[in-house]
Amino acid sequence: MFSFSFLVYAFLGALLSGISLAVFAPFVTLRRISYLGEALSHIAFAGIALAILAGLNLTVTTLIFVMLIALGITLLAKKHNIQESNTITIFLSLSMALGIILISLSKNYSFDLASYLFGNVLLITRNEIIALAVLSVLNIAFVCFFYKELFYLTYNPVMAKVYRIKTDLVNLIFMLLLAANIVINVKSAGIILVTAQLILPAVIAFNLVHRLSKAIVISVLVAVFSAFIGFYFSFLLNLPTGACIVVFEAILYFLSLLFSV
Amino acid sequence: MIQIKDLQYKINGKIILEDIFLELAEGEFAAIIGPNGAGKSTLVKLILGLLELKEGSIFIDGVEHYSWLKNNTIGYLPQYEEFDNAFPATALDIVLMGLAGQLPLGTHFNKNHKQKAMEALEQTGVAHLAKELIGKLSGGEFQRVLLARALVSESKYLILDEPEASLDRPSVESFFALLKELNSKGKTIITISHDLTTLSKYCSFLVCLNRRLHCHNQMELIDADVIHKTFGDSLRIIEKDY
Repeated sequence: MFSFSFLVYAFLGALLSGISLAVFAPFVTLRRISYLGEALSHIAFAGIALAILAGLNLTVTTLIFVMLIALGITLLAKKHNIQESNTITIFLSLSMALGIILISLSKNYSFDLASYLFGNVLLITRNEIIALAVLSVLNIAFVCFFYKELFYLTYNPVMAKVYRIKTDLVNLIFMLLLAANIVINVKSAGIILVTAQLILPAVIAFNLVHRLSKAIVISVLVAVFSAFIGFYFSFLLNLPTGACIVVFEAILYFLSLLFSV
Repeated sequence: MIQIKDLQYKINGKIILEDIFLELAEGEFAAIIGPNGAGKSTLVKLILGLLELKEGSIFIDGVEHYSWLKNNTIGYLPQYEEFDNAFPATALDIVLMGLAGQLPLGTHFNKNHKQKAMEALEQTGVAHLAKELIGKLSGGEFQRVLLARALVSESKYLILDEPEASLDRPSVESFFALLKELNSKGKTIITISHDLTTLSKYCSFLVCLNRRLHCHNQMELIDADVIHKTFGDSLRIIEKDY
């Protein structure tokens, strides 16, 4: 099965994509900002369009663009006491509109919307695998190191402030890392898989355990297991890998309801 | 000591608080009373630094309150604590929150911290619920967990926003008796409340607020005239216990 190096890359891509996103998934789910993942992946659309029009490096331009928007969302919500959901919607609309304008200006380019939505893990490069591996390590280190701050930030940010828990810096790093994860993942995994990986492993985990630390571990295990099974069936039946992983995770979710604690 | 000088607060041009001058000495058990919308919670949130102070000043122990709050904590028990009922936290986790800000970034709780949190839970009478998920606690039990969190921070100030809101009558009495005990050990307490019967028994200082301060006298001075000035016709003193 792994006789072709591009297949090894594809499998590693699916695996690392799952790990990197699943580490954050419990926090994203508990903070009820799962739409943020989808919003940032759509915001990436404007970054992609900008890179195409200006002839810049696609990944680097999109990464900088999305991280700046994530910074904008965090600062605007904090400075002007606006709900994060509203600032996300404002930036999402603006970015999509900008993306469409930029794509329409770039007349020589036909944008492949299907690959943007569903990704293509088979086209993943060695550099992208390295980026995903680095991100996975960074995510795990960040969550382990700032677990206490992340826990209380997720529980209640206002009371965290009353008890002088330094959540501002941690929230900023969280948002920037999340943005980086989405940009790196969206090309290979596509928006739909990125969104799914930010929700499904966590909700499956919370159906099985009531401790956040355990939920993070189970979320990662679910993502790893789904990558194996999804990749296997995608290879066996010649189906899109991302879609197979999402379908398998959805099945796991319904099964987990039967064992819900 | 908490000193408030010439404080005004407006929301979208509407005056919420005006001409607030107040001094609360250490060791007081002060009650803030007033009708709904009088600005009681706003005043408390300004002291806690949760709302931005635009006019006037607040000093805690002689230091401008934003500076004081950078290095110190005020134990706070909100009227309602917003949280997801399914949030995977135990009562012990919530009490440990009172200590989290005192630890450097990235460090974890040790046995000593957990021991302190357990002692605070014992003090508020809910140590047996330490490992319960917060979503499974009753309103009264959760209030006691939140009080334990406020206590574990070892702040000399404790602010409570209508602590009786989710307690039944016997629980209110025992809750205030516990507060009185803490007060007698040196804790300065400020509580917002509508329960005048209980306040008159336990509190030593009264702040009547309805956008402006109307009085800040000893509790025995509560009379119909003071209440009328603060609440208007919206409230009458009911002598009989309910």
